[in-house]
Amino acid sequence: MSVILYHWEPNANSGKPMLTLAEKGVAYESRYLDLLQFDQHKPEYLAVNPDGTIPAMVHGSRVLTESTPMMEYIDDAFEGPPLKPRGAEARWRMRWWMRFFDAYFAPSLSMIGWSIFVGPAARQRPQEELKAAIERIPLESRRIAWRKAIFNEFSPAELAESKRRVTFATHALEQHLSRSPWIAGDTYSLGDINGFNLGYALPLSQPENCNDSKTPHIMEWLRRIYERPAARETWAKGRTQMASRIKILERTPGA
Amino acid sequence: MLELYTSEPNTFFLKPLIALAEKPVAFSMRYFDAANFEQFAGAFPSDLESSLHLEREGPLLVHDGTIICNSFFMLEYISEVLPGPSLVPAEPYDAYRARAWGQYLGAHLGSIVPVLGAAKYLQPELAAADAARVDQRIAAIEPIERRVGWLAVRDGTYSPSYLDAVKERLGAPLKRIETALNDGDWLAGPGFSIADIDAYPMLCVLPDLAPAAVNPQTTPRICDYIGRIAARDSVRQALSAARTRHPERQFVPGIEASRWG
Repeated sequence: MSVILYHWEPNANSGKPMLTLAEKGVAYESRYLDLLQFDQHKPEYLAVNPDGTIPAMVHGSRVLTESTPMMEYIDDAFEGPPLKPRGAEARWRMRWWMRFFDAYFAPSLSMIGWSIFVGPAARQRPQEELKAAIERIPLESRRIAWRKAIFNEFSPAELAESKRRVTFATHALEQHLSRSPWIAGDTYSLGDINGFNLGYALPLSQPENCNDSKTPHIMEWLRRIYERPAARETWAKGRTQMASRIKILERTPGA
Repeated sequence: MLELYTSEPNTFFLKPLIALAEKPVAFSMRYFDAANFEQFAGAFPSDLESSLHLEREGPLLVHDGTIICNSFFMLEYISEVLPGPSLVPAEPYDAYRARAWGQYLGAHLGSIVPVLGAAKYLQPELAAADAARVDQRIAAIEPIERRVGWLAVRDGTYSPSYLDAVKERLGAPLKRIETALNDGDWLAGPGFSIADIDAYPMLCVLPDLAPAAVNPQTTPRICDYIGRIAARDSVRQALSAARTRHPERQFVPGIEASRWG
């Protein structure tokens, strides 16, 4: 059965199945959707995922649209190195941290990212075109998010709260990684793939929170993942400046 | 040793009680009265993950000293590690669907149902208690996200228009569940699974909390589904943990709604 993956840049939710498939050594047909051109709300894609969210994976007749459970599916359904730890406690910890990333850390970090990157990039286009594009978004919650990003409607209080949460979450992650080398414990897992997609650019976007002196364990963890062939291969698929931010993780020779 | 820290068997607290009864396995019950803030008063097991209270309020499972929190992932843990039938579908795509429901229902029903329940039952209960004591207890809650859930019950957040907006948000997840039940009796594949254990405690209180949204005319399949699960021995056994006459009226603040709007 063939695997088709609809995705944007190797980043956040799109990057989760991309890196997981690369780690498993599963070949897939890539369908790149340009988030900033609203490709994900066009009829061709809505026929695949009526919610208009990315990524989506089609495996034979099966359609998968939730990125974190999608990662578990890839690990369950395909040959290749296991990406879930053996012990139930370690698997629980992996899932707990993935939820922490998905429900707490990522929404705050992406609110900041959308306010400084996605919003200004989208605003290059005519206002009428943007309004029409927003109207085509199927999910009410996504319409609100895009409206806020495009028309710069995040309030200072909302952004301040997101910054507080990013600082808090970075500190919690540093604490966790000082206890064990990987998210689930002793072995590399889906938890690390999830966390890397969230955090690979933190040293660049949040230099005051995430750096070698304040968060040495996060920095080392990010560099270890960056050095994996699957991460190199996945980020090479990036088409924008966004993916090239990963170079911040290159180790300085002699340092 | 297996210990379950739980309050009245409703919403988040009901889930592991059902899963443990489905297995079935013996465990020690560590009961606390959540509406009376006993979870903030006693000596509770705590570590990095549990202290972050992603779910705000909920059960804790302590297995040979390891603390397992988050009521959905607790179900997967119970299924994987304890003897008895598996509660996670064996087929990878069904397992995906069960986990996707867990993620979706947590964000949706998990942030909606507790608000409706707390507005109807917890708010008047706290209003009748010693105000100074209640406010003092709430002021000491950490982290702030957990405290905010309780403050909302006190500070007038739950206005009629706010509650109407919350009820509006019920529409999408209910439609999704009603549609999914077109294809079969259970949410994730041919058998009863963690997806159903996750959904039931949030759905079974809705005929009371939102009768216009959940009733035999509007949501016939959901109503049948609630009845099907309520008839299981495991659910009856889980409810026997109750210490009040109406556990279905005991609510705690639930998962935080998306901050994106």
